[in-house]
Parts: sequence; C-alpha cells; structure tokens
Amino acid sequence: MAKKPDVRGVMEKGLFSDNPILFQVIGICSALAVTNLMLNSLIMGIALAFVTAMSSLTVSALRNHTPNHIRMMVQVLIISAYVILVDIFLRAFMPEMSKALGPYVGLIITNCIIMGRAEAFAQTNAPFISMIDGLASGFGYTIVLLAIAFVREILGFGTIFGMMILPNATRWTLMVMPPSAFFLLGVLMWMANNQRIKRERKGMEPK
Amino acid sequence: MSNKSFIKPVLFMAIVTVLFAGSLAAVNYITKDQIQFNQDAEQRRKILNVFDRLPEQQDDATIEQVFNDIIVEKTIDGKTGYALVENGEEVAYALEVAGSGLWGSIVGYLGFNSDFTETTGIDFVQQSETPGLGGRIDETPYKEQFRGIDITNAQNGNYLVNRPAPGGNIDAISGATQTSNSVINLVNEDLASFLANPEVK
Repeated sequence: MAKKPDVRGVMEKGLFSDNPILFQVIGICSALAVTNLMLNSLIMGIALAFVTAMSSLTVSALRNHTPNHIRMMVQVLIISAYVILVDIFLRAFMPEMSKALGPYVGLIITNCIIMGRAEAFAQTNAPFISMIDGLASGFGYTIVLLAIAFVREILGFGTIFGMMILPNATRWTLMVMPPSAFFLLGVLMWMANNQRIKRERKGMEPK
Repeated sequence: MSNKSFIKPVLFMAIVTVLFAGSLAAVNYITKDQIQFNQDAEQRRKILNVFDRLPEQQDDATIEQVFNDIIVEKTIDGKTGYALVENGEEVAYALEVAGSGLWGSIVGYLGFNSDFTETTGIDFVQQSETPGLGGRIDETPYKEQFRGIDITNAQNGNYLVNRPAPGGNIDAISGATQTSNSVINLVNEDLASFLANPEVK
C-alpha cells in the first residue's frame, strides 16, 4: 500500500464509497434473511460490526507472528471465537432477540465481509486502523440492512421498530417474504451504482 | 525466520486454539446458568399461558413463583406434560402436541380441563413458519381462539375445525393456509390419540 490509510478515509470507504453490500456485493445472504424487521437488522448489524472490528483487530495484532501459510486457519479460528461469543451473549441477555435471529447469528461466521476485511486490510495494517476498518464495514452493512428493513417492515407490518405507523394500511405480504429483499436490494444497488457513475463522470471522485 | 519449518505453525495454531477455546469455555461457564434460566422462564411462561394463568406482572421471577405454586410436571400420554393444581386437585392438563408444519416441525402444548370436555389454551414452544405469515400462529389473537373449545362431540376426531367449514371453531390465518391446517391436524391427531386412552402419571 502506497500511503498509510487514515481513519476518516477508512470510515468513508467502509460506510459509503466502498460499501461491502452495495459495491463489493459480499455478505448479502444474511442481508436478505434478517431484514423483515428493523430491530432484527439493527442487532444483526451491531453483532456483525462487533465481530468484524474485533477479529480485524486480533488478526492485525497477530499478523507479524502468524506463519503466512496457516493465516486463514488462524483467521477462521479468531472469527468463529467472536461469533460464538456474540451467540452466547445474545442467548444469555437477549433471549428474545436470539430467538428472532435464529441460525443467522451462527452464520455470521460465513459472512464474507469479515474474512474479506481480515484478508484485504487487517493482514497488512496496524491493529487500531484495522479495527476502525472493520467497524466501518460493519456499519456500512448495518446501514444497508436498515434501509431495506425500513421499507419491508413499514409495507409488510405497518410498523417501524415495532411501533405502529400505518394501522389501517393493507399489509403487503410479499414484503414479509424473502424475495422482497432481493428486489429492494437490487433497486438500492442500482441507485447507488448509478450515483457513483454520475459522480465519476463529473470527475468528483478522485481515482 | 523460516516459514517452511514444521514445528512453528503447529505450535502457533495450538497455542492460539487453546487461548480462544479456553476463553470461550470460561464465558460459556459463566453464562450457563443464565441461559438455562432464560430457557426455563420461556417454557414456564408458555405453560402458564396454556392454562390461561399468566400473572399480571410478567417478569421472570414472578412467573417462576406462580409456576411453582400451581403447576406440577406430569407424564401425559407418554410425553412430558403439565397439570394445573388448584385446591389440591388437578383441574387441567397440558398435553404436548407435535407434527410437521410448512417448513419444519411445530411443537406446542394444548391445555384441557381434567374431565376432558373443554380446552384451556395452546402455546407453541417450537415453530419455524414464515415470519409474518405462518409465524403468526405464535401471536396472541390466534392462540386466544383455542380457549374454551368443546371437545366432547367431535366428528371423526376433528376436535378443531377451521372456519368456514361446518362446525368450525378456529379462524385460520389468511395467507397461511398450510400452516393453519398443519396446526389443526397435529392438535387433532395428538388429542385423539390421548383421549382414546387417557393416561396421566
């Protein structure tokens, strides 16, 4: 890497210009699965941001001692340890949420964002900035999840974070079902990429 | 430093594994009781709901106290069940009912009084139906329908019947016909098998 990444640049990249879901298109399976309620999406996002940040931090802290050819094994071990930690925490202190998220908490481990950040960033950067990078990617994921969940929950249940907003509106059943997340995510990606292409044409985004 | 050496990676992996597995085991040990308590609290809340005896205050401690006061664990039809005890007499039973739903198995408890004439309620301890559609069997309005249903003169073991069929007593969930039918069927089957040879131990 030519120059050292700074906190602001890393944050901006993870949240917007290099958003893991919208532009890198990784980690979308859980994004499709847990977005029918905003609260589920929020908890899932926080859990993922925590796991990504902490595993990036740990991977980066161990990077100079890890023999190169077994680094993936070490990464997977670290990631799974944090995922189990989150799972235990939810089961002990937020049993309702643990039930709602079901198997998806355990499946955080297969989320490509975490492994992607560990490989692409944490392996070559200092611990603190790696943690910031993980956090930024995690929250970038959370923002997209919340955006999708907002539309799905208000059209499917008439509520936002469980609060009744549209009591008399007809419930749109499709919004509750998984396919709606495909459509919404597709539309969101299209908008975001359109925006990016426009900005690039104007030369606003330095290459 | 040679990466080709065999000992170092193995040793490193072993140390890292021991470190992480050890800390996870510690966390697991510390939270074990809390998790068990949460699961028990959930179960107690559901059983009380089956008997329509949920207290006003629904915090875990109150639930536990009320549960211990009035509920006794039983073996009903060869499965774990519960009895509601009032004034030293068993006035109602909760029978475990189970079967397959649309996506996975549904397990619940159906309550009925001790002369087997009327239901007291239902609750589900396990279901994986579509959230917002079939998953709504776990919502209060649907479950409230299972209270006080006469089970003495059923036709061919159909104690519960979805409306608008003749003799219907339950409103199915619109958009979730499969799940609604599954619930009715599994309850009817298990109730019939119990009533054919009532056995409470």
